[in-house]
Amino acid sequence: MLRGLIHYWRINLAVVLAAAVATSVLTGALLVGDSVRGSLRALTLDRLGRIDEALVTEQPFRTTLAEALAPFEVAPALLLRGAAVQPDTGARASQVAIHGIDPRFLALYPAEQRFDLARREGQVFPSLALNETLARELGVTAGDAVLLTFSRPSRIPRDTLLGETDPGDVLATLRLQVAEVLPDRGVGRFGLAPRQQAPHNAFVELRQLQRVLQQPGRANALLLARGGNPGDPQPALRRALEPEDLGVVVRSREDRVAVESRDFVFRPDVEAAIEQAARDLKLPAVPVVTYLANEIRLGERSVPYSLVAALDPLGAPESLGVRLGAGGAPARISPDGILLNTWTAEDLGAAVGDRVRLEYYVVGPREQLGVEQVTLVVEGIVGFRGLGADRDLAPEYPGIQEADDIASWDPPFPVDLDRIRPRDEDYWDRYRATPKAFVALATGRRLWSTRYGAVNSIQLAGAPAESIEATAERVRVALAGRLEPEAFGFRFRPVRRQGLDAASGATDFAMLFVSFSFFLIASSALLIGLLFGLGVEQRAREIGLLLAVGYPRRRVRLRWLGEGSLLAAAGTLLGAAGGIGYAWLMLVGLRTLWIGAIGSSRLELYVAPSSLLLGAAISIVVILLSLLGSLVRIGRVPCPALLAGGFRGRERLRRGRLAPVLAWGGLLAALALVATALATGATESPALAFGAGAALLASGLAFFRLWCRGSRGGSLARGARALAGMAARNSAWNPGRSMLSVALVASACFVIVLVAASRHDFGDELRDRSSGSGGFSLLAQADVPLHQDLGRPADRGELGFDDEAERALEGVAFYPFRVLPGDDASCLNLYRPEKPRVLGVPPELVERGGFTFQNSVEPPDPGRPWSLLELPQPDGAVPAVADANSAQWILHKQLGDEIEIEDDAGGTVRLRLVGVLAKSIFQSEILISEAAFLRHFPDRSGYGYFLIDAPPERLEPVSGALESALARFGFDAVTTAEKLAAYQEVEHTYLSTFQLLGGLGLLLGTLGLGVVLVRNVMERRGELATLRACGFPRSSLVGLVLAENGFLLLAGVSIGSLSALLPSLPRLVHVPFPWTSVAGTLGVVLVVGMLASIAAVLGTLRAPLLPALKADR
Amino acid sequence: MSALKLHQVSKSYDTGPQRLEVLREVSLELAPGAALAITGPSGSGKSTLLHIVGTLDEPTSGRVTIDGVEPHAMSEPELARFRNDAIGFVFQEHHLLPQYTVLENVLVPTVVSRRGRDGAAERARELLDRVGLGARLEHRPAELSGGERQRVAVARALINHPRLLLCDEPTGSLDGPTAEKVGALLFDLHRAEGNVLVVVTHSRELAGRFERRAELRDGRCYEA
Repeated sequence: MLRGLIHYWRINLAVVLAAAVATSVLTGALLVGDSVRGSLRALTLDRLGRIDEALVTEQPFRTTLAEALAPFEVAPALLLRGAAVQPDTGARASQVAIHGIDPRFLALYPAEQRFDLARREGQVFPSLALNETLARELGVTAGDAVLLTFSRPSRIPRDTLLGETDPGDVLATLRLQVAEVLPDRGVGRFGLAPRQQAPHNAFVELRQLQRVLQQPGRANALLLARGGNPGDPQPALRRALEPEDLGVVVRSREDRVAVESRDFVFRPDVEAAIEQAARDLKLPAVPVVTYLANEIRLGERSVPYSLVAALDPLGAPESLGVRLGAGGAPARISPDGILLNTWTAEDLGAAVGDRVRLEYYVVGPREQLGVEQVTLVVEGIVGFRGLGADRDLAPEYPGIQEADDIASWDPPFPVDLDRIRPRDEDYWDRYRATPKAFVALATGRRLWSTRYGAVNSIQLAGAPAESIEATAERVRVALAGRLEPEAFGFRFRPVRRQGLDAASGATDFAMLFVSFSFFLIASSALLIGLLFGLGVEQRAREIGLLLAVGYPRRRVRLRWLGEGSLLAAAGTLLGAAGGIGYAWLMLVGLRTLWIGAIGSSRLELYVAPSSLLLGAAISIVVILLSLLGSLVRIGRVPCPALLAGGFRGRERLRRGRLAPVLAWGGLLAALALVATALATGATESPALAFGAGAALLASGLAFFRLWCRGSRGGSLARGARALAGMAARNSAWNPGRSMLSVALVASACFVIVLVAASRHDFGDELRDRSSGSGGFSLLAQADVPLHQDLGRPADRGELGFDDEAERALEGVAFYPFRVLPGDDASCLNLYRPEKPRVLGVPPELVERGGFTFQNSVEPPDPGRPWSLLELPQPDGAVPAVADANSAQWILHKQLGDEIEIEDDAGGTVRLRLVGVLAKSIFQSEILISEAAFLRHFPDRSGYGYFLIDAPPERLEPVSGALESALARFGFDAVTTAEKLAAYQEVEHTYLSTFQLLGGLGLLLGTLGLGVVLVRNVMERRGELATLRACGFPRSSLVGLVLAENGFLLLAGVSIGSLSALLPSLPRLVHVPFPWTSVAGTLGVVLVVGMLASIAAVLGTLRAPLLPALKADR
Repeated sequence: MSALKLHQVSKSYDTGPQRLEVLREVSLELAPGAALAITGPSGSGKSTLLHIVGTLDEPTSGRVTIDGVEPHAMSEPELARFRNDAIGFVFQEHHLLPQYTVLENVLVPTVVSRRGRDGAAERARELLDRVGLGARLEHRPAELSGGERQRVAVARALINHPRLLLCDEPTGSLDGPTAEKVGALLFDLHRAEGNVLVVVTHSRELAGRFERRAELRDGRCYEA
């Protein structure tokens, strides 16, 4: 066997090389997958240092919690998002991750990555360290000044009456001096969310941020390194947490214990927990809702700005009751009733039975302040006793409680100080925030509930024979056991494990590159089969002889299988090494040429032995399958034919009916699809183009087959035309091989051209509401959510828009979305999104409509497709919409599938896909209705995502005005065309990759054609020798054979390219087609194909032809 | 002037340490219209001699002259043109092109002919008529018997009015009666066309028809 292999070393070497190519490509593709995964893992480990787990909360907490978690190594930090500006140049950067850190944080990173934030001598402003990416964006170096703007944490939800929304209150700004520019690796890449792109990182001393946020000794994050400790830090955290850390404050009053919310209102679950604790302790409890009435009016008389308490007073103890008159009976309040205190009753001249009108603010949709009124019946006049005399019953109203007089009030809502009378100042002096009126708790809940809750405090009676302080302590302990820290965000997340899990990637690059390399692999397999077949045919006599001397066919086959296996093994071994080279080359491509697909140059080669083995194993199977055809034929050719040196009988095409049916049917189907496209206006539909193209391809190939079958007539011409005619006729004579060659080339060309024609650049069609932009021209995001309505000039004024900006925004419509931050669910994120970003779709968009649903369940209102988001789900799931591409390729979800994410109370909310959008701007997020958003994510106030309907000719002034006025909010506007193009860039890059690798495959396929040619020439040596004897010069013979091959190549290229191009023509009228690169690819294929043919023909014809003329050849 | 003249034509091959002498100083001279049968045992160099005469192969030494022209001195394209014009071949295997009809096969040499195609089809039909295949013009080789195929090959060899008709075992693969017919046909056409006919054959019957006969033994030519 070995001697046979050595004797025919040329052809065997060719088989080995082809096998090596197939293995290299396959193994290399798998290694690309390993490398992407490995690189993402490395990035995860790099950015996290020694951090294993992290806890991040909405509200800051005591940094001393970190110490309570020993033996774990824990670093407290303030992790904020904001914007950065270089004050001298005005260079801006949004989406800046601002980290307030101390040495404990830096200790989590290797010593060489640590940096010093201490103020240098003579340095005026505090130090800032930023990473290269941010420094580059701002154009700063060490010593430069940078302004960081970020949101102040607010305990009171900003979208409630008392929430601060004024930009001056919402935003904090810190001027800093760049002390160090960190490389984009290690700590410079720090971030808890997995992302392959380098973040905009800014590091500031923790105490500096605490100072500017007025949160001394507090942090909002704990970063934990296990240091080999396998325990769970959560129990220690629970032990260390006190109710105050969770926003529940227990105060000792004179005769009772008050449990108050630092967040102004208790969430219903917290309220329930406190009431349960009170029941457990057997302490009577009175929940209290307090609200500010702008006016209490009776006829012409009114009292301005009065606190009203809603509670159900108890008869006993007195401390939880309200007493009628100066010393009367305990008061009760009905749902339509009101109790006025004596001062108010006197001021209004009110008596029991009078109907007074309360006017108060409400926060309506879009966080707009409105005024509402309610009329209630006076059911009693109460004295200043018990709760009626409690000036601490109301929570601390910002801007009110600390004021010396009412004239000094500076609340976050409008107050008309002209209405304040001396009498009111007098009340303030004497009673401060003591409620002037009382309504029933149910009434208070009905009128003043927010989505966060309604109750501000729960008043508990003191226990008998126990000091109030002791009772308060018992209440604290009971609450600590009842309140779930996890529901307040106090949960350590295994960020390292999650990051490593996410590194498995949303996109399987191994399979992606196997697909991209499909034609390359298929061509190699074909080449292996052809070369091996050629080798076997060369040895037809040897096979014939073995059979003639009595070798069983099975044994002969096994012998050749053995040889084939040896060649396959040698090729596979060589290919495994080649695979590493191929993967390296692909990674170089991904880091440079195709960087659009991954957005990171941090891709390194990782070689997993398992992938090498898998690639080799699959390759061996592919190679052996490729050899199988030749081995089977050994058994079919009669022994005498083999002895005569023949291996292949003349081919005959069966006169089946399939070819004509396919030819005409394909043509008709293509015409029908084009007609459908024209009729429905879907002339640009890629699906229709593909369908029509595929039908044309099948038809074209079937016509070629029919031509092969029918090409018998016609007379011979003379000269060059005669040679061309002879070439065409000769091609038709070997229909099987010709079909194989043409089909291979045509299919590859079809895919390459179709892929190129699938490129899509966005233009005027984006003005259409059904397009991927929904008809919106701009899209904006703000790092700090806005609480103002950008559509209202008054709100814009509040935000600092000047007259010029106002003029720019004339006629511009805004659709604001609420945002739950999360992972990018689009193809721009290589990591698998663990918790995708969620947007709350405003009802206005549901009404307006726009975008196109690629697939959806039946919407409740067929006229309003977005009413899908309102579709009730019986099992409590939330109807959600995602982009079709993101759902399929990144989230790997289909219609009806669910995505589970954590809600604000630490529970799980299931988002069920009820619709998927076609190629939209929403590729990075999941969409749910605003109502559902508020229900499940009540803590997310404000709007951080905006769709903007601006006239196309004014996009620049509009975005300029917005970005400039809202720079502090990290407001960043892009055109929807740019946004779509960014997503498209990934697709285009994939298309380019596919095109290039497909082109390489095609190139290899043309080498296969060369082999087919050699086989043809070898078989037809007698024929060619006869032609020479008839006076055909050698050049004519070469020309004849080349013309045959050129004819097949051209036929394949034409059938494939035209099939792909023709149905795409309507699109290509206005969408640029990469003619140069496609023509280049096909041109190279033709040229290389012809060169390979020339080499093959010259090589074959150089051998003496005369023996072929002899009878005993 | 001789139509064909061979002067001390030798042919040898290098086969490693030994040199294989196939033809040794073969000399022959044929007048226009002459016919010669060459016989000899297998491996005696008959086909080699015919290939050298037909310009498909070159002599190691010696000279071949056809109508006073030394074709072996020509370049490959000139030689091909010369062969197309002046020489017709008939081989033991007919080497018809399976993808072409009988008529087209006969016309194949005219594709590269300098004479032009005027009248070529008529001549092809006439030749095919003369070889008895006038009714089979549109048939393909696969549809013909062995003798018929060989007759097509004969017609093909004569299409360009060659001055020299060379036949290499033209009846070698045919049965007795068919071989007889083909042999007779060759002679008839040779006489009708007035060309020089050289036939290499093992067949004593066929060789017996020739007025001149030569035998190759050990590379030397002995004319009877």
